[in-house]
Amino acid sequence: MLLPVAVLLPLGVATLLLVCAHLLPSRVSTMAAIVTALTVAAICVLLARAALAGPLVHWFGGWTPATSGRPDVVLGISLMADPASAAVAAFTCLMFAASFVFAWGYFDEVHSHFEVLMLLFLAALVGFCLTHDMFNLFVWFELMSVAAFALTAYPLGKSSLEGAFNFTITNALGSFMMLAGVGLLYARTGTLDFTTMARVVTAHGADPVLSGGFCLVAAALLTKGAIVPFHLWLSDAHAVAPSPVSVIFSGIMVSAALFVLAKIAMQIFAHDPPVMALVRNLLLWLGLATAIVGGAMAYAQRHLKRLLAFSTIAHLGIMLTAVSAASPRGMAALLLYMFGHGLVKGTLFMLAGVLLALRASADEIVLYRKGRDLLPAGIAMTFAGLMLGGLPVGLMHQATDILDELSPAMMTAAIVASALTGAAVLRAAARIFFGVSGAPGPEMTAPTERERERDERPLWLMLLPCAALLAMALAQGAAIDRFIGFAAPRLIDPAADASAPVAAHSSPTSYLPIALTLVLALLSAVRRRPVRPFPRSLVRLELFPFRALRFLHSGLVADYVAWMIVGFAILAGMLSWS
Amino acid sequence: MSIFPWLVPAWLFAIGIYGIVTSRHYVHLIGCLTVCQSATYVLLLSIGYAWGAGPPIFYDHPPSTPAVDPVMQALVLTDIVVGAAVTALLLVIAIQVHKRRGTLDPQRLRPLRPDQ
Repeated sequence: MLLPVAVLLPLGVATLLLVCAHLLPSRVSTMAAIVTALTVAAICVLLARAALAGPLVHWFGGWTPATSGRPDVVLGISLMADPASAAVAAFTCLMFAASFVFAWGYFDEVHSHFEVLMLLFLAALVGFCLTHDMFNLFVWFELMSVAAFALTAYPLGKSSLEGAFNFTITNALGSFMMLAGVGLLYARTGTLDFTTMARVVTAHGADPVLSGGFCLVAAALLTKGAIVPFHLWLSDAHAVAPSPVSVIFSGIMVSAALFVLAKIAMQIFAHDPPVMALVRNLLLWLGLATAIVGGAMAYAQRHLKRLLAFSTIAHLGIMLTAVSAASPRGMAALLLYMFGHGLVKGTLFMLAGVLLALRASADEIVLYRKGRDLLPAGIAMTFAGLMLGGLPVGLMHQATDILDELSPAMMTAAIVASALTGAAVLRAAARIFFGVSGAPGPEMTAPTERERERDERPLWLMLLPCAALLAMALAQGAAIDRFIGFAAPRLIDPAADASAPVAAHSSPTSYLPIALTLVLALLSAVRRRPVRPFPRSLVRLELFPFRALRFLHSGLVADYVAWMIVGFAILAGMLSWS
Repeated sequence: MSIFPWLVPAWLFAIGIYGIVTSRHYVHLIGCLTVCQSATYVLLLSIGYAWGAGPPIFYDHPPSTPAVDPVMQALVLTDIVVGAAVTALLLVIAIQVHKRRGTLDPQRLRPLRPDQ
């Protein structure tokens, strides 16, 4: 059975590396980490292929449900691979492998502790995707969080410590909520296994304790998935973490939380009317709000990593609207968008890392014209910006086409978030690499910082993983359609044998995001400083909403926690009202 | 079942949150986080509790005697371990922040923002 190996292998290698940390040269441990990530990726691909015939289940210690001798009593803990979960796990490993290559030599002086933490993180993410047990889910969630907290604080700089502190407090609160939710679900259903729990939930129907449990678990996953108003920690943490770590944070960690939220809602609560009403309505509007807030904040940033962090928030909003569709096509859009966005955002964070290493800054205004001799990086960034802004090729575009057909609100979220974030990235690329720029707009007054990263790596080694990820984001074809079409219904019901149509008709609206992106980017390139009174008052009017949004993103952990409680109150209020 | 097993965790969680929101010192804030966490312990233990039942150890009892739910106790135990790791990490961060900035007041420590 390969299933437990996918989790145990990275855990084992991490332990070995920790033991041998002082004996091995650090390049050896980097190599070991890359090989481990690729091996686990291969295992997960095999699992995904095998799971097409039916879900693979592994009961630890052989404690299958039959061993308890009573129906509806499950003593064991299981891992289960459906095609979608195994594919997400494989994608996770791929991102880690790319990040290890990118970080070659970056962390030389820390005795392979970086690799150890990253492998623990990898094991936690794979376990998080594959687990079929509520409490096990919580354990992986915590392991993932603790590894992430430590990796954020690693540079021990001013901002990274404060960012890591905010990240830790908010996410620790989230995990307490999750544990309380798991407790409530167990109190009513008497089991922690997904399948058995789903059976009991279906029998109970609408029950306040079950609703409360879902609410708490959802609040925790929405915190990890950075959905308004739980999102405030993300921009601090992702902006200050070392670039190779930000690649993982934005590329897979946050979207994995939304993936698991979809899995729990669909596999356990599919026949609980109040919970499904909440998923279909509230999550749609929260997703739309997240797309707009994240997009506007991303557009008004000058610190490249902070800009990318807010753009991640915006695109998570799009993914949440796909979750709220609660249908096989919605799940297909979610999976495609997760993969496409992860690849593009990973590339962009790597390019920000290249600038931090070679030009010692990530501020697009400070870096004006400083990247002219880094042309390949400039081309990659422009291309990634176009992909983010809805260029009609590749995985992300296919997902937005499905969303366009599903509902107008989802289409709006996709258009707004793509256009604002794509334009912001293109504006930064034009400034840094091509020296094309108008006067700075709302981004002028955004927070920024002087910092740099180690620069001993050759440029080509840093650009290699970028190119690989970008090329993968361009993938499209019948094989992918067929796999996603099989995987999406099995994410909702692992025993399903249907297949969802994935190919969407390209309508004129699918060119809207890229057109808007180009218009916005062009506007920022021809922008001039206002001199006459009327344009000046116009600019002041334009600044007002950005100022108001920035005021809410205060950087104070107390405010973040207060907003989390507001978000939880909204969730609970909607549930008790419906 | 009495209402207190629900009220006590809710109250503990609420005062913990109040403490975090109004805190002016990182170490105090970490303490408040621990209060929030103890709310989950109380909730889980009271979910697993059964009146008149003994501990779930059948070494000197016949296996059919009523016992409290051992699953919930296992969950609490795991959570305590994880909680200790998170608290330790937070305290280390607090020490490092104090070394670099000379203050632990959240109002004066904001990531990526100039000193107020």
